Amino acid sequence: MHDEPLLNVSNLTVNLLTAKSALRPVDDVSYSVRQGECLAIVGESGSGKTVMNFAPLGLMPTGVTTMLSGSVKLEGRELIGLPEAEIQKLRGKSVGFIFQDPMSALNPVRRIGRQIAEMAELHLDMTPSAAEARALELVKLVGISDPMARLRQYPHELSGGLRQRIVIAIALAGEPKLLIADEPTTALDVTVQAQILRLLKDVQRRLNMAMVLITHDMGVVAGAADNIVVMYAARAAECGPVDKVLVSPRHPYTRGLINAIPRREDPIGSEFRGLPGIPPTLGAPIKGCALQPRCELAVPACGNSRPPLVRSDDSAVLVACPVVNQGKAAA
Amino acid sequence: MIHFISKRLKHSLVLLFMASLVCFTLVVSAPGNVAVLIAELRGAVATPGYVEQVEEEIGLNKPLLMRYVDWLGDAVRGDFGISYRTGQDVSADLANRMLVTGTLIAGSAVIATLISLALGFLGAFWPYRLPDRVSRGLALLGASTPTFFVGALMIYAFSVTFQLLPSFGFDGPKSWILPWLTIAVLPAAVLSRVVRVGLEEAMVSPFVLTAKSKGLGRTAILFREALPNITPIFINALGTQVGLMTATAIIVEPLFAWQGVGDYFLAGVRFRDFMVVQACLLIFLTFFIVVNLIVDLAVLLTDPRIRRQWS
Amino acid sequence: MNMLNPILARLNKMPRAALITIGLFFALGTFAPWLAPQDPSTQNLLEAGLGPSAAHWLGTDHLGRDTFSRLIIAANTSLVSVGSVLGAAMTIGILLGTIAGYHRGWVDDLLMRVVDVGLSVPSLIISLAVIGIVGPGYWTMVLALALAWWPMSGRISRAVAVSIMSKPHIEALRVLGASPWRIYFGHLLPGTIGSVMVYATADAGTAALAVATLSFLGLGIQPPTPEWGQMLVDALPYLESDPRQVLLPGLALTAAVIGFNTLGESIALNRIPKPLTRRMLAIRRAEVASWSKENSDA
Repeated sequence: MHDEPLLNVSNLTVNLLTAKSALRPVDDVSYSVRQGECLAIVGESGSGKTVMNFAPLGLMPTGVTTMLSGSVKLEGRELIGLPEAEIQKLRGKSVGFIFQDPMSALNPVRRIGRQIAEMAELHLDMTPSAAEARALELVKLVGISDPMARLRQYPHELSGGLRQRIVIAIALAGEPKLLIADEPTTALDVTVQAQILRLLKDVQRRLNMAMVLITHDMGVVAGAADNIVVMYAARAAECGPVDKVLVSPRHPYTRGLINAIPRREDPIGSEFRGLPGIPPTLGAPIKGCALQPRCELAVPACGNSRPPLVRSDDSAVLVACPVVNQGKAAA
Repeated sequence: MIHFISKRLKHSLVLLFMASLVCFTLVVSAPGNVAVLIAELRGAVATPGYVEQVEEEIGLNKPLLMRYVDWLGDAVRGDFGISYRTGQDVSADLANRMLVTGTLIAGSAVIATLISLALGFLGAFWPYRLPDRVSRGLALLGASTPTFFVGALMIYAFSVTFQLLPSFGFDGPKSWILPWLTIAVLPAAVLSRVVRVGLEEAMVSPFVLTAKSKGLGRTAILFREALPNITPIFINALGTQVGLMTATAIIVEPLFAWQGVGDYFLAGVRFRDFMVVQACLLIFLTFFIVVNLIVDLAVLLTDPRIRRQWS
Repeated sequence: MNMLNPILARLNKMPRAALITIGLFFALGTFAPWLAPQDPSTQNLLEAGLGPSAAHWLGTDHLGRDTFSRLIIAANTSLVSVGSVLGAAMTIGILLGTIAGYHRGWVDDLLMRVVDVGLSVPSLIISLAVIGIVGPGYWTMVLALALAWWPMSGRISRAVAVSIMSKPHIEALRVLGASPWRIYFGHLLPGTIGSVMVYATADAGTAALAVATLSFLGLGIQPPTPEWGQMLVDALPYLESDPRQVLLPGLALTAAVIGFNTLGESIALNRIPKPLTRRMLAIRRAEVASWSKENSDA
């Protein structure tokens, strides 16, 4: 039982159908998270990392039709093919969500207290007064001063950092086993980012939850995550334990990402080392390796077929690069 | 809060002053000699002597400013002068008529609110499905059918064909239903679109994704999350519609033989009874200004964002 | 021909039924005198209040006049009056709006304050007040409605004028020392007229309604000229015995207004994404299915 991951995603493919086009933001990706573990999913914006986590739980904007294939198991229960009514019961109860922009994630005309307390009423069958007490407890837990007064306030009366703490409190209110945090620090001031990240890490450990941390910030990954999946153009490029992948990145894309982080020893005014070129727009799946046009290792053969994820010389790390994996068998 | 209310009250007073100026100027600028007109309306031959007598009587020979001050002073005290046509006290006529028109507008406002909320929610609950299309079709029909035609259809259906309700008169709730419904059709149609579009816009905002992530169902999201967000918009639109009801009252009151302000105004226009036109116009304008004031205060109560700007 | 293409493309996106209704209204309104089978004013009390027959397709009214002819001529009355009202209102509105947009400052403030007040008072009350002062008549009606209608086009043309004035090429003209007259008549006015016209057409339904309402109240089109609102009020005393005479003009008017309102709604863009239609969904699914084939080939 201990070995069974809390969330097990295998060969997940997501197609989105809109009035304008059809696109595939997630193409055959697998990963898993255990209880008490934190998995970071890293990639540029538009690499499909948010859709990958939100679509199986039915959180997509209106006007978009989602087609899922593969398998997403939460506590051993298959989510794909589950009716929306069943998935709705899981949201908030088994899985808590934290969103990128706390400025727009809260309802502007409802009091903070109600927005937290309704979670406890809904998922823990609490009476309104018990739920109020629970809300107060949660607001204290996420480290907000003067909690009684905050509960009576409206979102616009709080700063961005405080609002994100409220969003976290809402996510925790249903006592979920899994927390999905979508770029939780991106929209915040730099000074607040570290506090929020520390808070997230702290509650995750204290409540022994599993956490999926979606981010494009390698600094966030290093500070918080145990494992990492690097996404590029809807596919997983590399995955493995954070300490191994960050220390010795194997995939040229991961290397590019890590290389792009400014270092202390960089002379002032030195040129920014970004990856050249731009990521492909999502649409129909690309035939060969999606990174080929931007890759320094690229050989003509890269365009022939999609590179499979292959176990590297370190058995914990999987890499999808035909050049790096030369002579190795698919995992 | 207090600051906002006092500021808003001052604004209303300025508007009232402007309204009084408009009403006064309208009558002063009327073509032809009013005194001659009055003399003729009274059936007398407009001899220069008699005209002068009339001028003296209604103070036409005083300077304009004095006339305005006199008139305004009287109006504030509720004295709107004497009808040129009937010679009766306009204020006495108006007192009862305001009650009639008030009944008409209040009842219609309630009906329009209920119908529009029902239709709007129906559409928002099943967007682009059959209930939405029906609600949309009804709204288009309601917004496009002339009020007098609606009234005629109501009378034909409920009074002539089924003989359920009286087709005219103002005695008791049973006689109020048809006029209420007739006036309510247009605002109900317009407001149902306000509700429908407002809810749809609220339902695509990011906080609805949060609500979904909490595990709330569609009904709960519509009522708990989206409804509070459209309340200020709805109150605003309702205010406009209630203002417009004064205009439809002018059409509907004569149709159902109700002796209201609208009917009085129309008679005043028909017989060019300036004192009546002026008094009714002033009452209408005051009504708009008061409705707007109430709407602004109600929006202040329902939208914490605006409340904060003024606290 | 090239100039027509964008217009045709725009028309293509509008609801067909609305276009047909409006087209019919315009056609009937324009050619009514030639289309009406009988003289709409010829009374024949011996044939009063008859049902449909070969001689009178839609029957006759209480004075024995041919209802079908009267309905058609009424479209003409309505079209001409709406045209004059909107024409007069737009002239006032565009003139004052562009002056406000060109001048800005206190002129703008004052005019827009007047527009605000004008828009907040129902048009029926404004026009009735004007009629009450001036006295009823055809041209009074046009004037009264124009006075009630200009604030809308005034506000739109002011907004358009402000945006035109802030464009770089106007700025350049000014720097080059072009005279205010040239800027106003050569650039500002022509640019504004076009966009105001589009909105004004969407307003035509309400204007037709207003004409009919005033006529219904006996203060607009005067008998014997046939007009829908007036035909309806004429037939109202006979509602019990001959409801057809009330229904027909009411329906004709409602149909015309629905046409214009639908058109107006399609001009106002809706920016909220709509769910896919079943057909679109099938197309997208097929698209996705073709991807997996390519993939399995590889």
